[in-house]
Amino acid sequence: MISIDAKKQIDVWIAKYPKDRQSSAVMQALKIVQAENENRLSADTIQAVADYLDMPGIAAQEVATFYENYNHKKVGKHVIRFCHNISCMLNGADDLIKHLENKLGVKTGKITADGLISVKKVECLGACVGAPMFQINDEYFENLTSDKIDQIVNNLK
Amino acid sequence: MNEVCFKNLTKDQCYSLKTYEASGGYSVWRKILKGDLTPEHIIDELKASGLRGRGGAGFPTGLKWSFMPRHSDGQKYVVCNSDEGEPGTCKDRDILRFNPHAVIEGMAIGGFVMNASVGYNYIRGEFMEPFYRFEDALKEAYEAGLLGQNINNSSVNFDLHTHLGAGAYICGEETALLESIEGKKGQPRFKPPFPANVGLFGKPTTINNTESFASVPEILSRGGQWFADIGVENSGGCKLFSVSGHVKSPANFEVPMGTSFKDLLKMAGGMRDGAKLKAVIPGGSSTPVLTAEVAMSMTMDYDGIEKVGSMLGAGSVIIMDESTCMVEVLTRLAHFYYDESCGQCTPCREGTGWLYRVLERIIDGNGKQDDIGLLLGVQDKIMGNTICALGDAAAMPVKSFLRNFRPEFEYYIKHGKSMVKE
Amino acid sequence: MADIEIEIDGKVVSAKAGEMLITVSDREGVSVPRFCYHKKLSIAASCRMCLVDVEGVPKPQPACSTPVNEGMKVHTQNDKVKASQKAVIEFLLINHPLDCPICDQGGECELQDVAVEYGSDVSRFSEGKRIVPDNGIGALIQTDMTRCIHCTRCVRFGLEIAGMMEMGGTGRGENLKIEPFLREGIQSELSGNMIDVCPVGALTSKPFRYELRSWQMNSMPSIARHDLVGSNLFVQTYKGKVKRVVSADNDWVNETWISNRDRFSYEGLTHKNRLLEPQIKVQGQWKQVSWKVALDYAVKGLNSHVLKHQKANQLGGLVSSTATMEELYLLKKILTEIGCDNIDHRLNVKNLDNIITLDSNIKLDALEKIDYALIIGANIQLEQPMINHRLRKATKKGADIDVLNVMAFDFNYLLNTENITAPNKIVFTLAGVLKSIMTNNAQELPDYLAAVEVDEVANNIASKLLNSSSSVIILGEHIINNEDASTIANLVTQIARNANSKTLNLSITANTIAANLVGFVPKNSGMDVNTMLVSDMRGFILLDIYPQYDFHDLEIAVKAFTKDDTFVISLNGFKDDIVSDYSDVILPIASVYETSGTQLNINNDMQSYTAAVKAPKEVKPAWKVLKVMADLLELPGFHYADSTQILAEISHQPYAKHTHDEDINLTSKYNSISTIWQSSPYSIDAVLRHSSALQKTKIGQMNSAYMNQASAETLGLSADDKYLGVPVVITSAVADGCVFINANQATNTQEQT
Repeated sequence: MISIDAKKQIDVWIAKYPKDRQSSAVMQALKIVQAENENRLSADTIQAVADYLDMPGIAAQEVATFYENYNHKKVGKHVIRFCHNISCMLNGADDLIKHLENKLGVKTGKITADGLISVKKVECLGACVGAPMFQINDEYFENLTSDKIDQIVNNLK
Repeated sequence: MNEVCFKNLTKDQCYSLKTYEASGGYSVWRKILKGDLTPEHIIDELKASGLRGRGGAGFPTGLKWSFMPRHSDGQKYVVCNSDEGEPGTCKDRDILRFNPHAVIEGMAIGGFVMNASVGYNYIRGEFMEPFYRFEDALKEAYEAGLLGQNINNSSVNFDLHTHLGAGAYICGEETALLESIEGKKGQPRFKPPFPANVGLFGKPTTINNTESFASVPEILSRGGQWFADIGVENSGGCKLFSVSGHVKSPANFEVPMGTSFKDLLKMAGGMRDGAKLKAVIPGGSSTPVLTAEVAMSMTMDYDGIEKVGSMLGAGSVIIMDESTCMVEVLTRLAHFYYDESCGQCTPCREGTGWLYRVLERIIDGNGKQDDIGLLLGVQDKIMGNTICALGDAAAMPVKSFLRNFRPEFEYYIKHGKSMVKE
Repeated sequence: MADIEIEIDGKVVSAKAGEMLITVSDREGVSVPRFCYHKKLSIAASCRMCLVDVEGVPKPQPACSTPVNEGMKVHTQNDKVKASQKAVIEFLLINHPLDCPICDQGGECELQDVAVEYGSDVSRFSEGKRIVPDNGIGALIQTDMTRCIHCTRCVRFGLEIAGMMEMGGTGRGENLKIEPFLREGIQSELSGNMIDVCPVGALTSKPFRYELRSWQMNSMPSIARHDLVGSNLFVQTYKGKVKRVVSADNDWVNETWISNRDRFSYEGLTHKNRLLEPQIKVQGQWKQVSWKVALDYAVKGLNSHVLKHQKANQLGGLVSSTATMEELYLLKKILTEIGCDNIDHRLNVKNLDNIITLDSNIKLDALEKIDYALIIGANIQLEQPMINHRLRKATKKGADIDVLNVMAFDFNYLLNTENITAPNKIVFTLAGVLKSIMTNNAQELPDYLAAVEVDEVANNIASKLLNSSSSVIILGEHIINNEDASTIANLVTQIARNANSKTLNLSITANTIAANLVGFVPKNSGMDVNTMLVSDMRGFILLDIYPQYDFHDLEIAVKAFTKDDTFVISLNGFKDDIVSDYSDVILPIASVYETSGTQLNINNDMQSYTAAVKAPKEVKPAWKVLKVMADLLELPGFHYADSTQILAEISHQPYAKHTHDEDINLTSKYNSISTIWQSSPYSIDAVLRHSSALQKTKIGQMNSAYMNQASAETLGLSADDKYLGVPVVITSAVADGCVFINANQATNTQEQT
C-alpha cells in the first residue's frame, strides 16, 4: 500500500518530531502517499498511513478531510488551483476562470476528457500582489492574462 | 524603504548564505555563540525597538519572549508562523523566498533567549517554492555549523525544522497551528492555558510571525532604539505592506511605520487606469473596510489606522476602485470564512454559512427587505462568541461593509442587481 | 488551590481559585445549559451554550472554560445571558431537524429542553437544512447524524474514557461530521456510554429504537450483575418489561459509566427461550404443571430418592456464580437443615486442590491511584472493561503496567513490558520475582526458592514492585485452570506481602465473592463439586446451571446428572436441551432485574437491589421458590416475608478470610500443549447469551482457538481446522505450547474434527 520509497520520504518527516510523536508527520505522509496513488486518497491508503504512523484510522481521516490539499475523488494529472479570493477577483479572476473553462471545455471541479487537467477554485493562496494567479501542482503562476493562461495550459502534458 | 527584511532584495542571489553574511547576517547569532549576549539584554533591546507581532495581532515581541518560563525544566519550543493565508497578505512568502536566513537567525536567537532548543517553521502547504528555498537555507546554515547541537562548542543547541501545512487558513491561528504540527486537525485550543505554558507537545512554546522573526537580527545588530526611531510612537520600525487590488504596480513595500497611505499608494504606482479610489481594506480581509476619503487621511501604523476605525493587521492593503461592487466583495469574503471555519464552535460553524447564504441570495437577486438587519444580527452573535478570532474575522467585514456602503446593499436587495455594474 | 468567594446570581459561594465556573455553579445547583461540557470529559468549550455574564467583561463568557477568581460576580439568568443563549440555540437549530416527535431522544433531549424555553420563533434561518447520511456504526448504537450538534462528547469519550479513538470529526466548518472511520462499527466494550453522553438524538440505543418516550417509563435503581464491579444503573421499565438500561452515578464503583454487557443484557429477558412454566418429567415426558404440582413433585422426589433412605449425604447442591447472595444462603441453609454438606459453586475448576484463594484488598477508586500494576493472566480490556478503565486512568498519571500473559492482547495504554510466556512458566517467573524481592530485602530464602533462577523479566518486575509506593498485582481468569493455579496465587500473596503490594483477584466473577462469604463450599465431610460428579449421588438441586457453559468438563457433569435413579431439581431462567435431558423437575426462576437480591462486589460493597419488573408468566424469584420448598420440606426457620430478612440473617454470619500460607511446591505438571478456555464476554451467563444485539457485535461473534505455528504443527492442525470445536487461528501472538481459546460457544470436550 505504501511503497518503500514513500516510506523513506515519510521517515524524513518523522525524524523531525520528538520520539513517539510520529503522528506529527501525518500531513506529509498523506501527501506523499497521495502523490503515488494518482493524486488521491482512499480509505485504504489513509488507513495504511495511520498504521504506518501508529495512530487511529479515524485520526488520519480527520486530517485527510480537514485540510484542503487532499483529494478524495479522481482529479486530473495536473490540478489547476485557481484563486478567486478578493485580490484576484478584483483583478478579473472570475472572467479568467470562465476563459479557462471554455478553453478546456470543462467546468471547475471537473476533469478534461483526456484526464490531463482538472480545475478547482480555491481560496487565497497568498500571492495577492501577483493577482490574478493560480497554482499547478507545486508551482505558482502569477499576473495571469488570457493569453498567458493559454500558453501555460498548452504546455501541460 | 526596504531596510530590514528586504534589505538584500535587489542583490544577486539575495537568499544565499553568502549574501546574507556579507551584509552582516548571523553576526548577532555568532555573538551569542561566543557568549557575548545575554537573553535579558536581547529582551531589553526588543522592548526598546517597539517591535510588535507582524502576524496581525500586534503584541509586543519583547514582552512575549519574556513570558516564557525559560528557567523551567524540560523541552521548550519556538515556532514560526509562516501559514500566510489572510486574503490580501503575501509578505511572508517573499521573506521566505528572498531572505530565509533572517528567519533562521531570528528563530535561533528566539530559541536562545527562551531556552528552547528546537524550533519549527510552519509553512503553508501551497508555498512549495518558499519551502524549498527555506530548506536550502537550513541546509546551508547546518553546513556552516550555525545550527545543531553544541554549536561551535558554545553549549548552545538549536535544531530547526520545517513543518508543511496542507491547506487550512485556520492554522494561522497559533494554537490551531500547534495542533497541526502535532498531526491533528487545525482546531484552535481554548485558552488558558496559553502556549507559553502549555504549547507544542504540551511544552512551553512561543509562536511568532515570519516577519517578526526576520526583523530580530537587524534590530539587534543596529540597536532597538535605531529601529524604534524609524517608526512612530507605539509603532516601532518599518513594516512590510502588501498592496494589491486596483493599483498600477501591486507589490510588497517595506516602509517606516507612520508612512501616509497616500505615499504608499503612490509607491504602488497609484490607481490603475486613472480610476478613482473607492475603498481600502488596510490590514487584510478581516479588518474593517474604509472609504476612500477616510483612507486618504490615515497613516500606516497601529494607532493611525485604529484612529480611523480599522486595524493594521498584517499590513495587507487591498485597494478598490469605483467599479467595485461592494456586495460582491463582501460575498466573496463571507464565502472565504464559511469555507475556512474549522467547525468546532457553534456560532462560527453555523453562522458563517448563514452570513454567506444571505449574501448569496442577495447576489442572486433574491434578497429580502430585512436581510441587512439579519446580517447585522448574525454577525453580532458570532462576534466575541468563539474560541478563536476567526469568528470575529468573519463578522467584522460584514459590519464595516454595511456601515460604509449600506446603500449599495439596499439597492441590490431592491433591484436584484448591482448599483455599480451594468 | 486557595479557597475564594465568588457571587453567582447574587449569592455568595465559595470556590477554589482556578476552578471552572461551571464546576462551581453545578455544585451550587445553579442551572446552566450546556452541550459540549461533561463533568468526566475534557473541556471543549466549543458549543458556546453555557454562556454566563461576568461583571466587567463585555461579552458573555462560557462557564465551562472560565476560571473563577476572587470576587467574581456572575449572572446566569439575566437578559444578556438569555439573549446569548437564545442566539446559540438559533445557530444550532439552523441545521438541527425539528423532528422531535419522531426522535428517540424526545423528552430527554438537552437541546429540546433549552429550545422549548425560547419558544417557536427561535429561528429566522430560511435556507435548507443539512442532511447527513448515516452509515451505521454497529448493532448497539443507532445513529441519526443529521441531528448531531457537534458537541464532540462521543469523540472525547472514545479518546479519553474508552481509550480507543473510534468516533472522530471529519471535514470542517459546516461540513464537520461526527463519524467512525471504517464501517465496521464501534468496537469498544464501553461504547454504549456514547448514548448516555450524546445530548441529542444523534446516538441512541438501537435495541430501544422507537420503543417509548423516556417519560413513559419507570426508572428503578439497580445493580449490574455480569462482573465483580457491580456497576450502578437504572432499569427503565414500561408495563412490566425492561425497555432500557442506563448508567447511574457512583464514583466509588462505576463513576458514570457502564459496560455494554451491563447496558444491553436486558434484551435476553424477553428471549423466546425463557422458561415460563414449571414442568415435571413423568415417565420420560415433560408436562407443564402448576407451581404446587411441581414443588410437590420436587419435594416428593427428594423424599423418595434421598431423605426416605437417610441419604442426605448423597444429595448435592450446585449454583452458578450469577445467583444472588440470598439465594446462595437459602439453598445452603436448606441443605444444611436436611443434613447435606455437599455444596459448591466452583464448577469450572478442574482440580479443586489447585484453587486460587486470593483476596482482593484494593478498592476500585484506589486502582486509578496506583503507580504500578502487574497483570497476570487477563485480557483485561475485554474481560474487565470497568477495571481496565481505572488502570488506564492510572497510566495517564504515569503508572507503569507489566503484563504476564500467554498471549499478546490489545491494551488501550502503553505497557511497560508485555511478557508472553507459556502457562507452565508463569509460576517460575513469579518465583523469580519473589526470590529477587526477598534477596533485595536481605530476607532468608525459603528452600523452594533456592534453585529458582531469576531472569531479567523477574528482576525487572521485582524492581518495579520494590520501587513503587502503591502497586497492585492482578490475577486474571486465565489462571483458573492453570496446573499451577494455587501455587501462582500463593506466590502472588508472598510477593504482595514482601513488596507491600495490593492484590486484585479477577479470576472469580459475578457474585462469587458472595458465594464465598455465604460459605457455599463443602465443609466437614461434604463433597466438592468434582467429587460429587464422580460419586454415587441420589439427587441434585441445581441453581441456574447450564452444564455446557458452566463446567470445565461437560461430559462428566452430564453423566453424573443423567444417572438412573438420580433425582435432579433444576431452577433455570432459560430453556436448555441438556438441562431437560437430565432434570426431573424444572422450575422457572426470575432473571436479572426481576428479583430482589444482593451482590457483593470487589470493593466488598453489599449492593442490594429490588426487582424492577415482575418476572413473566409463572416465573418466580429463586429465593421464593427455595423458601416454599423449605416449607414443604417442613424445615424450621424459613419464615421470610421478603429477601431483606434473609440478608439481615446473612449479615450475622461470620466470614472466614482466606489464608495463603500453604507450602509452595515448584514442580511443573504440564503437558506439551496446554489449553486455556476463556468464554467470550457475552457468553459468560445465560442472559448475555440471549441478548441479540450483543451477540451480533464483533465481541459477541468472537470464537477462535489461537495458537502459534509450532503448536499447530504439534497438534497437526491448520488454519482451516477446528480445535475442540472452535475455529483455529494461527498467530505468533500466542506463547509456545499454549492454545488460547476465546469462545462464544458451549464447551466442547470432543476431540478436534
